Amino acid sequence: MDIVTRYSDRVAILELTGRFDKNTAPPIVTWLEQAAATTPAHILVNLAGVNFVDSTALAALVRGLKQCQQRGGELYLCGLQRQVYMIFEMTRLSKAFSIFVDEDHAIRALTN
Amino acid sequence: MLSVRLRIKPMSMLAAFIQVHYARFTTLAEAWLANGATTFGIWQKGQLLAGWPAGNKPDQPGLVMPICVGDQVIGDVRISGMPGSAARARLAADVELIAHLFRLEHEIECMASDLVVTQDQLVALYRLSHSMSQYLTIEETLTALVMESMRLIKARNGFAMFVPSIADPIVVQHPPAEIDEALLWRCFWQAHSAAPEVSLTTLDLSTTIADCPRDLLFIPIKTRDTVIAGLGMLRDPGRGFQTPDIKLARAIANQASAQIEKVLLYKETFDQAKIRAEMELARQVQQDLLPKQLPHVTGLDIFAASRPAFQVGGDFYDFICQTDRPFTFSIGDVSGKGFPAALLMTMTRMAIHSKAFFMPEPTPRVVLQQSNKDLYKDFTQVGVFATAFVGQYHPQHQMLHYANAGHSPVIYRPAAGAATMLMADSTAIGIFPVSSCEDQEVALRPGDLLIVATDGFSDARNPGDEMFGHKRLLDLVDTLAEQSAQDIADSLFTAVDRFKADCPQEDDQTLVVIKGVAT
Repeated sequence: MDIVTRYSDRVAILELTGRFDKNTAPPIVTWLEQAAATTPAHILVNLAGVNFVDSTALAALVRGLKQCQQRGGELYLCGLQRQVYMIFEMTRLSKAFSIFVDEDHAIRALTN
Repeated sequence: MLSVRLRIKPMSMLAAFIQVHYARFTTLAEAWLANGATTFGIWQKGQLLAGWPAGNKPDQPGLVMPICVGDQVIGDVRISGMPGSAARARLAADVELIAHLFRLEHEIECMASDLVVTQDQLVALYRLSHSMSQYLTIEETLTALVMESMRLIKARNGFAMFVPSIADPIVVQHPPAEIDEALLWRCFWQAHSAAPEVSLTTLDLSTTIADCPRDLLFIPIKTRDTVIAGLGMLRDPGRGFQTPDIKLARAIANQASAQIEKVLLYKETFDQAKIRAEMELARQVQQDLLPKQLPHVTGLDIFAASRPAFQVGGDFYDFICQTDRPFTFSIGDVSGKGFPAALLMTMTRMAIHSKAFFMPEPTPRVVLQQSNKDLYKDFTQVGVFATAFVGQYHPQHQMLHYANAGHSPVIYRPAAGAATMLMADSTAIGIFPVSSCEDQEVALRPGDLLIVATDGFSDARNPGDEMFGHKRLLDLVDTLAEQSAQDIADSLFTAVDRFKADCPQEDDQTLVVIKGVAT
């Protein structure tokens, strides 16, 4: 799994590539925790390069979402591949997250 | 003791150069004297360094020729008693030769000096590896790494961090707390992303907390093909880090990587031995918590099984059978794997079980909504969630009432139809403070089939990295539908085992098969 972190217009962006599962989740959990500690935390996780997520990965994202919201911020997702979006649909996590097609749309929503 | 890297100054070298080559200078001077010169001297800043004939100091030199090394005049040669352009040309040629020899000598001195520095660094690296090898914890290793690196690289501040796969990240800096930790972590995450090393020029400071107070060098440390640690050095502004510093820092980082790997291995071996015994006990407890017998419910053929990927797992199933109450069952999957998931699985199972057992009107919706309410705070604290399915059979109508909190896959196949997925209508337990799941129903008449499995089935992978997926499951259920509940379950386990071939089982696999039968 490749992890790239960037900042754009006060939004902390996490760009992931590869399998996002129990083996690759720990550094992402740490990054999300640190990024969510800023006030207000605006985090965007770009999953365009992710071809699989397991329940540990979903839990990491849910945890990040809750931490952001506790500090008056938001965690958005973008670029989900079809099979990954299906997992969000099956588990109804699509109702919990704001999901965007790409970074531009998500950043616009986060900064407005 | 490490020697100080010292560039020899050409000015101070001239006297030593004359001393070493005194016999040759004497030969040169005597040649000039034999040809009519009255004195031959080498001077530096108005001081005579060496003169011929001995003890003869000229008042008025006839010819003065500067000795130039690069842009610097390091001295001059003065001759008296031989005026004329021929003598000037000859002196110019001699001085050029002297300057050339001096340059060569200077280069040799510099190379020797570099060699000494390199040798010192090798010795220092050996000392570093030797001193670090005695530490058995990551924190001790990082502290030693920072202290030794600061000493070797002559940095004003040093820091190192480590992000373990389990437990909190560790950061060490010296002098303590002088640099904002947020900046240190920015270095780490940027290096983690791409760069081989981070300097002030490559560090994206546009959104960094504060200006970096000093010149900075950061080297990521890779262990097991992943950046899990990093070493940073800071110097006073303007001093910067040159190529030799970066090379040395890289060598130190490589050394640190090997040591971190060793500490991790030691810790893993130690922990594993300790945990193995506890895990075996936990596995036994978890197995004991699963229903020991399959329930006998009129009108239903029931089978259930669970196969954890590790010794203990996060999946569960449960049967709640009470006189005068409808038969109720649950199945669930806690996010994550292994021991933490197993602990929370027990909590979830008990929360659902107690609601279904003790509430006056325990419909599946009420059971799941109340369980979500009870578990939400703890799950949020720990950062997990659990998908769960609760079903309740009403024999008088041969109907199954159910509620589904984010659980998948759930397959329903009516006796006269194809298998379909029953989708969840609400999120898993622990996502929202209030669950929005509703009671739904399907018929369970003779031949109707319900299979509630966990994602360990659908997510199983083969050596070609292909997932078993929902389509295969549905097709398989269609072909197996006429068999008994146990045979269907056995065939599903066999099919998924055959599919994954030699690949390890990555997730827990649990299923409950319920089939309507004629009474």
